[in-house]
Amino acid sequence: MSLPTSIADLQDAALIARLQALVAESPVPAAAISAVLYALQDARGYIDDVALHAAARLTGLSPVRVEELCTFYSLVLRAPAGRHVLRICDSIACHLAGAQDLLAQAQAHSGVALGEVSLSGALTVVPHVCIGLCDRAPALLMDGEATGPVDATSLARCLEQWEADPWKPF
Amino acid sequence: MKRVFYLDGQTVPFTSGQNVLEAAIAAGMARQIPYFCYHPALGSLGACRQCAVKIYPHDDKHPPRVTMACLLPASDNLQLATVDKEVHTEHREIIELLMLNHPLDCPVCDEGGQCHLQDMTVQTGHAVRRYSGPKRTYHDQDLGPLVYQEMNRCITCYRCVRFYQDTAQGDDFGVFGSRDRVYFGRLEDGPLESPFSGNLVEVCPTGVFTDKVFRHDYARVWDLQQGPSVCPHCAVGCNTMPGARLGTLRRVRARHHPEINPHFLCDRGRYGFRYVTAAERPVQARLHGARSRQDVVLRQVAMRLQEGRSGFLGSPREDVQSNLALFALADCLHAPFAALSSPWMEALAQQCMALPQAPTLSDVETADHLIVMGDLGGVAPMAELAVRQALRNGAQLTVLASQPTPLAEAGDYRPTRPSALPDLITGLAEDVCLQGSRRPVILAAAETLGPAGVHALRKTLARLPANARAGVFQNSPNLFGAAYFAVDGHTARLQHALRQRQIDHLLCLAADPLGSDWGAGTWRSLVPGLQGATVLDMVDTDTVRAAEAVLPTAAFPERDGFFINYEGRIQAFAQVYRREAPVLHPQENVNSFPAAAGGQMHPLGPPTPQYWLGRLAELLDIVKPWQERLAFYQHFLCPISPHPDSPGVLLDDALRARFEIAAAPAAAPVGTEDWELDLFHWYGGETLADAAAELQSLAPARGLRVSADISAPFATLSGPCGRLRLPVIPIVGMVAGVVALDQEGFAELGLYPGEAVQIQWEVAS
Ligand code: SF4
Ligand code: SF4
Ligand code: FES
Ligand code: FES
Repeated sequence: MSLPTSIADLQDAALIARLQALVAESPVPAAAISAVLYALQDARGYIDDVALHAAARLTGLSPVRVEELCTFYSLVLRAPAGRHVLRICDSIACHLAGAQDLLAQAQAHSGVALGEVSLSGALTVVPHVCIGLCDRAPALLMDGEATGPVDATSLARCLEQWEADPWKPF
Repeated sequence: MKRVFYLDGQTVPFTSGQNVLEAAIAAGMARQIPYFCYHPALGSLGACRQCAVKIYPHDDKHPPRVTMACLLPASDNLQLATVDKEVHTEHREIIELLMLNHPLDCPVCDEGGQCHLQDMTVQTGHAVRRYSGPKRTYHDQDLGPLVYQEMNRCITCYRCVRFYQDTAQGDDFGVFGSRDRVYFGRLEDGPLESPFSGNLVEVCPTGVFTDKVFRHDYARVWDLQQGPSVCPHCAVGCNTMPGARLGTLRRVRARHHPEINPHFLCDRGRYGFRYVTAAERPVQARLHGARSRQDVVLRQVAMRLQEGRSGFLGSPREDVQSNLALFALADCLHAPFAALSSPWMEALAQQCMALPQAPTLSDVETADHLIVMGDLGGVAPMAELAVRQALRNGAQLTVLASQPTPLAEAGDYRPTRPSALPDLITGLAEDVCLQGSRRPVILAAAETLGPAGVHALRKTLARLPANARAGVFQNSPNLFGAAYFAVDGHTARLQHALRQRQIDHLLCLAADPLGSDWGAGTWRSLVPGLQGATVLDMVDTDTVRAAEAVLPTAAFPERDGFFINYEGRIQAFAQVYRREAPVLHPQENVNSFPAAAGGQMHPLGPPTPQYWLGRLAELLDIVKPWQERLAFYQHFLCPISPHPDSPGVLLDDALRARFEIAAAPAAAPVGTEDWELDLFHWYGGETLADAAAELQSLAPARGLRVSADISAPFATLSGPCGRLRLPVIPIVGMVAGVVALDQEGFAELGLYPGEAVQIQWEVAS
């Protein structure tokens, strides 16, 4: 990671232009960091080391600062993820409403441990902290879209559909 | 009127702005309130939730409630209690939570004996662990040779990251993760980059960060001999607390000085002490390179001195007493003496002495406008730390330097050629910004300014409003002490005597005229006239290796003495321990009694320079006049001897004023087409610290630093005393036409900062 990296290492001119525009729009470069990280994650699936250093360069933050943000915010991924990411809330309301069963079901479907990429490359399942949908528990985020309440049948349907769909929705 | 509040019925005095915990600690009542995240230099955070007290509001609307003492501003007549069931429960249960994941490794933890966590755990009565589940564990990082990490011991008080990122403004260390998985470390393994990294060891209240150098020669803290000392690695004179065990020095910690270093040390000050234990350190007397009996060597040196063809050379690296003792001996023998190794240094020292009273480092922290010249952090790191505190308080910083130094990156960097500095300084007198600010401070690396620059600084200060202050820094601990005897032309006279063959023997006290001292090039050219040199020193230098006779001296923590720091503050240091070292080689020792039977003069390692000089006076039969001279000088120059535990005393203004008459130095003119030299310094570099292996493993590569548009791989520099071929290190942002070189390089070439140099660039093939 300490290898000299430059923004050009992203090897995606369109992405770089988008990121630079985000920084330019921002009152100070550092304030663009969340937008930059999300754009990078959208484009690359997760924040790899190249993306981390590029984000640091673009915003003038130190790589340590960027890593602090990445590891603090649970919506930023620092490890490879499948084409679809399922975040199942396991905080108190959802826990009481059966989140553990949904997690177990989704994990069984993926065939790998939580947080890992299924063999087909289609899916990563992660437990997640409360997403503010407690009144519709158990709730989850399907590729970033909040849904709830979810039961075993609707979860299974959605997982089937993802499996069949080779494209990322964004 | 004294302001007080009440804690458990006892009065606690406070001053405005203090919080309850701070006032209670100051009043010696810390035992009532356990705490972790509060630190006097880092402030309150409210992160650990340990410092609960119960507050009884004075109205009858609010019931008593438990609150955090560190977040509660002290106010008049507050009623607080810790002898309270709820408070006890809070104290006990918080510590139980903090200890939940803590490993049971106290017996092998280096923090043992001075562990704040251990103290607080015992104090709050959390004696039995109820939790038996699995513990959170972390991978530790290799943070380099100075600081050892064991993350499992963390209680997330955030002190480390607050120090590293906020106080020291380092950006290679941070806090990662959230909730119960929070990690304090680097992005990846590798040495910490901050010159202040060693302070993690002291701010961390647990054993997460411990001293890696101490670790390899470890002793329990209650077994250490400790005492008040002063850092010998630069002119700041930070107060230190060396710790020794069984006759060897094990570690150095910071010792509180309210105006210099209330809490911290730089890494040079903390880890440079390993010169004391370096394998190359001369600990036995030597004659012609071979170890020899003390009396044999002394007789030989006395014989030399008797010939009346000796010169004496002191050093700003030695303390006041030793330099005085040398001066007195030279005086008794009517021999030429110089306190500094080059006329340039002599002029610089005199100009520094003539400056008006410098600001203390705590004054620097409260400055609102700072001008820094040269690489301040490379010379005197703690001065840089003070500047950074001023920056945090909103000060404006301008850096005039030839290279983008770490401080330059934090302020307004004005790339400047060193030869331009005297004129720029003169111009500062008209600077409206400086005129208009309330507490302006100018700080500089002495050698980058040179005598002409420091002279210009004094003239400028005289024209600026009285609130403007200035301080110049150098990396030897006693430049001011040496400057005392630096009478104009002494060094030139000594060199002249050698050149004219009036003398052929040099007695050097901690001077390295044949190595890397300023002006060494000139001395080397005089070697043909030198029949022999005698060196009193505590480190291995070129001059020690070339000397006819070597009289090893006690390292600073092994004796007492005085240094005079950049402010002209006389500070005393005490003997902390006695070194134990075998005196003689077994073969040389066959006929004498074993040490234990009292057969040797000094079974406890090298003696002080005064001891050696006294023995020489004895052999020359001049003890009485020598002692009288010494007493006279002491009385005249250093009438007050502060106690090692005191904050020191400032030199008398009248004594300093006599340096104002020193001739105005002229700087050699530099053409705009010329290549010009500047000094490169790194924060760990200094003659003594250079012998500290762990610290030096971090030293940057040697080379010629030059603006990045030069693409030659090598360059050869030529000066009046020699040539030097060095690899070229391109530096982005460096001023064109300037090359930066280390002190050894200057010594080799016989040149000084701000002077022109001939360079031949080798073209890449
Ligand atoms: S590493 Fe030490 S200083 Fe840092 S948060 Fe943990 S216990 Fe506190
Ligand atoms: S700033 Fe100077 S005196 Fe202070 S600790 Fe560092 S080297 Fe020692
Ligand atoms: S607990 Fe699941 S959304 Fe709040
Ligand atoms: S010391 Fe008060 S909350 Fe930590």
